[in-house]
Amino acid sequence: MKPISTNKIINAHKIAKIWFSPLISLILAGLVVLALFPAASYASNQSSRVRAIINVKIVPVIGQPLESGSIIIKDGLIADLGSNLSIPPEAKVIDAKGLTAYPGMIDGYSSLGLVEISGVAATVDNRETGRINPQVKAIEALRYDSMHIPIARANGIVAALVAPSGGLIAGQSTLIKLSGWTNRQMAIKESFAMVVELPQIRSGRRSFRGFGGQQPEVTTEKALDELRELFHQARMYEKRRQAARNNLLLPLPEFDETSHFLLPVVKGELPVIFSVHGDQDIIQLIKFVKEEKIKAIFYGVEQGFKVAREIKEAGIPCLIGSLYGLPPVWEDGYDSLFLNPVILNQAGVKIAFSSSSSSSAKDLPYHAAKAAAFGLDRTEALKAVTIYPAEIFGVDDLMGSLEPGKLANIVLANGDLLELGTKIEKVFIEGQEIDLSNRYTELLEKFQKREQEKQL
Amino acid sequence: MNKHSKKICLTLVLLALILVSTGNSASQTIKPAYALVNCRIVPVAGPVIEKGTILVRNGLIEAVGSAGKVQVPEDAEVIKAEGLTAYPGLISAHTNLFLEPREQSQPPSPEELLRAYTQPAKPQEFPELLILEKLKTKKQIIESYQATGITTVVVAPNQGIFQGQSVVLNLNGEDLNQMVLKQPWALHINFTTERGVYPSSPMGTIAFLRQKFYDTQHYALHLQKYRSSPQFLKRPEYDPFLEALLPYVVEKKTVVFQCNNQEEIKRALRLIDEFKLNAVLTGCNEAWRVKDYLKAARTPLLVTLDFNPPDSSIYSRQGEEVKKKAESELYPANPANLAKEKINFSLTTFGLKESDFLKNIRAAIQAGLPFETALKTLTIEPARALGLEKQLGTLEPGKIANIILTKGELFGEKSKVVRVMVDGVFFEIKERTNEK
Amino acid sequence: MRNKLIKTLLISSLLIFLISSATSLQANGNLLIKKATILTVSGPAIPEADVLVIDGLIKQIGQNLSAPPGTRIIEASGKYLMPGIIDTHTHIALHGTNEGTDAVTPEVNMATVINADDTSIFTALTGGVTMVHTMHGSANVIGGQNVVLKLKWGKPSEELVVKEAFPTLKFALGENVKQSNRTLLPGRPQRYPATRMGANALIRRELNRAKDYLDEWDRYEKLKKSKNPPATLLPPRRDLRLETLADLLRGKLVARCHAYVATEMVEFLNLAKEFGFKIGAFEHAWEAYKIVDELKAAGVGLSVFIDSWAYKMEAAEGIAYNAAYCTNQGLLVSINSDSGERIRRLFNEAGKAVKYGITQDEAIKLITINAAKQLGVDHLVGSIEAGKQADLALFNNHPMSAYARCDMTIIEGEVYFDREKILKERQEAAAKKGGK
Repeated sequence: MKPISTNKIINAHKIAKIWFSPLISLILAGLVVLALFPAASYASNQSSRVRAIINVKIVPVIGQPLESGSIIIKDGLIADLGSNLSIPPEAKVIDAKGLTAYPGMIDGYSSLGLVEISGVAATVDNRETGRINPQVKAIEALRYDSMHIPIARANGIVAALVAPSGGLIAGQSTLIKLSGWTNRQMAIKESFAMVVELPQIRSGRRSFRGFGGQQPEVTTEKALDELRELFHQARMYEKRRQAARNNLLLPLPEFDETSHFLLPVVKGELPVIFSVHGDQDIIQLIKFVKEEKIKAIFYGVEQGFKVAREIKEAGIPCLIGSLYGLPPVWEDGYDSLFLNPVILNQAGVKIAFSSSSSSSAKDLPYHAAKAAAFGLDRTEALKAVTIYPAEIFGVDDLMGSLEPGKLANIVLANGDLLELGTKIEKVFIEGQEIDLSNRYTELLEKFQKREQEKQL
Repeated sequence: MNKHSKKICLTLVLLALILVSTGNSASQTIKPAYALVNCRIVPVAGPVIEKGTILVRNGLIEAVGSAGKVQVPEDAEVIKAEGLTAYPGLISAHTNLFLEPREQSQPPSPEELLRAYTQPAKPQEFPELLILEKLKTKKQIIESYQATGITTVVVAPNQGIFQGQSVVLNLNGEDLNQMVLKQPWALHINFTTERGVYPSSPMGTIAFLRQKFYDTQHYALHLQKYRSSPQFLKRPEYDPFLEALLPYVVEKKTVVFQCNNQEEIKRALRLIDEFKLNAVLTGCNEAWRVKDYLKAARTPLLVTLDFNPPDSSIYSRQGEEVKKKAESELYPANPANLAKEKINFSLTTFGLKESDFLKNIRAAIQAGLPFETALKTLTIEPARALGLEKQLGTLEPGKIANIILTKGELFGEKSKVVRVMVDGVFFEIKERTNEK
Repeated sequence: MRNKLIKTLLISSLLIFLISSATSLQANGNLLIKKATILTVSGPAIPEADVLVIDGLIKQIGQNLSAPPGTRIIEASGKYLMPGIIDTHTHIALHGTNEGTDAVTPEVNMATVINADDTSIFTALTGGVTMVHTMHGSANVIGGQNVVLKLKWGKPSEELVVKEAFPTLKFALGENVKQSNRTLLPGRPQRYPATRMGANALIRRELNRAKDYLDEWDRYEKLKKSKNPPATLLPPRRDLRLETLADLLRGKLVARCHAYVATEMVEFLNLAKEFGFKIGAFEHAWEAYKIVDELKAAGVGLSVFIDSWAYKMEAAEGIAYNAAYCTNQGLLVSINSDSGERIRRLFNEAGKAVKYGITQDEAIKLITINAAKQLGVDHLVGSIEAGKQADLALFNNHPMSAYARCDMTIIEGEVYFDREKILKERQEAAAKKGGK
């Protein structure tokens, strides 16, 4: 991500001046904010309007909850929050009595914007053909007007990792906020990490793999050997290119797409999200990550609980796969998927929950609650859909909690954020109030008219 | 080669010469007379004779008794069998001898799928099939069976749902016509599915079976009507499929249902009850799990010594550890459990490698099956199931001379089958080199 | 502590034997559950109350109840007791799902292929599910007959069947039967029907044939009873396919129709009117909210997902408000899983309905009494009332909460799932393994 220059922001304020004729002091305040808070440099095109959410219960995630307080939003950022704040006179006041303010949630792994109707190939863009695809970028196919995005937003989700899938190297994931008028506007980090998919756990169960029969058996060991070789090639490719750059007599190597796009990975600039599942696979992978000196994040990790200490020692965060599944092997126990995040969390591993989906991305909070039902501390469950994913994705300076200086990604709920029956009344993304209507509400309203017609 | 066998050779040559000169058919060969003397005899029919004589003439047992009581006739060749024990030849009432291995339920290869997809499949249902007509004997296979003490087998077809009709063979050489004991024996039915055509699901298979049985009943009724009043009645269209079922559905000849798991046993029992079939169940390595149903139904069982838990079984679905334990402890106890419940059964080698036979029968005995029961369920019990109890299954005068001679007690750790007589003819036991 | 926990997870052989011998969990169908919040479903919740179960039936609900000596007492203070969850649409506990080779296969019956060994039964129990309507798949326009089971894990398949439930027949419409999501290879003809028009025409054709079949039998019976029946009189061929459809026409079977879009549901209602058969419920019914009036007039129930949608074109207008909206409009709605995985969180699925406009009390009905009504067993199960069968589920939290966890599942007073016991077994197994 390129930091946005302060010039642009000042320009934006100049334009705003024509419309709202704000005070010079406001600009100055803006500059002060810029200096103090990194989020300010990110919030480029945010409304400079001032809002105040009052009489609201605040669960800031970082810091103590407040039974009743106010949140001041300014320039897309949280300017202040607390119990006895003076409300700026220019602020648009939102009385949120009976509601609770939470930071917006972040989906640790999804296919939002890539998969619209999974059974209709024409609407599916997450799975490229072939096995080695470091060159494909999720951001470039992101459907910003996906019907699933407003539904996820209406459940309090404000950001998501969007990952491609399939093969060994699936492509480059993107970190997005769930608002914006184009795919690029949605990007927080256009290319956040390379996605590598290691084999699933082999279970005793026979699984039908559909037309085409059984896939050839690839072990994690073989997959890692293949990766090692690809990484080596990328390094050698770079070496030859460097050499040719320095010495005009040396031949310039032919363009090698795979090596080219793996280069940021082997240089340790671009993290890799490894989809990894079995305990022994995880152990092998930890060794691989160390040897190759790459930045790694694990995803899936169904048997992580068996090697929680090793994961903790390696310092690798885990994006927990969907809890809408069955234990991969019977011997793990019927509840192993639910206990897995509990044990990882207790071992000190940084975890974030994921929907692993587009059409049920809205269910993110329920995955966290499910783990809580099986023993995860409720505040930890909340953190694992807010501040922990923010930390894992390196955007905890921008989001993941309600703190002054962070982006005003705020959700107002009529109850516990992770609870099934809770209704989300308002969502702010970077200070802007989001229209919560969506495919569900639109179709409902359309057909409710049938009832209404009768009353005419 | 001893002088006895030299004598046998000479006799055979002479006999052959006589037969050729008189133009008699080979099946009428008169077999020599033997007197097995001084052996321990386990006749199964009665108490063990510690030192006795078995008289065999022309392929049949003429006399069995203790040493003093049976006179050795002049023409009999005396076989001294000190230190050996004689048992009736063992019977495996379900094998797929000489057939290609039965179809595994492996997922089809892409090529197979493509073929199945582009060329609509044809059902593989041939109740009219007589497996005898498909058989080609193989000396090696016969010898490996003989080495285990098995002298009589049922060879059943192994493809489709209505698989066809089986035959009972005595393993007395390589001439099929001479081997036949009962042809056909039974109609074999397996709860499998067709691939790509109806019925392709277990519930489809059951509906298909029921419909075919009803159709046979209707066909029989139509035929009967037509015979008694052929005028003003359209003749029934000849249907080879239903024709093949008539003896089984109407005349109640034996139908064998292959039951690959506990549920299939109950499914078979329901069909047998619905259509009042005269049936036998085979496979049944989960029979102990449905013992109450089997006790009530009193249907004879052919129980395989294959101890692999079926794929859909709970014991295959809870991880490797459980599966292995079940394979080594639970399934080998199946015969013992049935014996405890006094359920009528015979043991078979169905689905088993010959080399596993001894190992598995020992495991069954280890798991609590009394030796006497083990012996009966491989001799007189299958003879009864086959309707051959007057000819086979014990060492009694008048029965077919299927006799095995062992060193040590049969199925014992160090025991060995040393000689086998089938239909009154001795066969050498070849040491198998591939055995460890 | 953590290590211990991990170890306990690694070992579960003990647990397996515990499960496979579910009998050890039983207590003669007598129980006293103490001090739970009773979500009766039939009335308001009763805080801190006891439920007495005698012989598998709910005997009494009240404060400080006492039980006959020897009755197992379950301390449930702080917990929530709800009626056992009923899933109106699953495919678990079966050998086979679809007889997909023909578009019309009503003769196949899922009751003939129950698989009591299916581990999905246990999985479902861990989510408080006690009863399922387990069905033929949706590959065919007219599928097969379905069966209602109680999830008595470890019991023989026959004991699972709920005989009092409506006998039902599966129909399916739309994309699955049109096979519109299949890739056709060159040379492969498309199956009839390939349109919604064709699907309806096919149902009409088959039901007309079934009418004729009934007629044919009527004529035969009349002739047989006449004074001078012709000598050539032959009963019609018994056709299981037409016989099943005839049962639908005679009201002996109730149709359960897989349908998504509004038009196909409206047209199926018309077919029902045309032929006079009963519809138990539409399955999935994603566009039910569009045709509430028609559904209400026909008195047809809905068995739907809460929000599993957008997996194919016809599910693209399936809104999460469907269940709540239709409930508020007075329709009888149940939430189903249609999955061996979702079944264990069916209570979560019902809980989601609260967000879309109904109360927790109404939401809980979607998986209890409403489901029981749709299956014709609401006089037996579906609420906690004296006299009903003691099918119960105990939760640590209100079951409509996202934080709820099922701790115990009871069928007819017998405990089939006990989380505490499993945890204890795990710990013991871990200790045993650790000791080695």
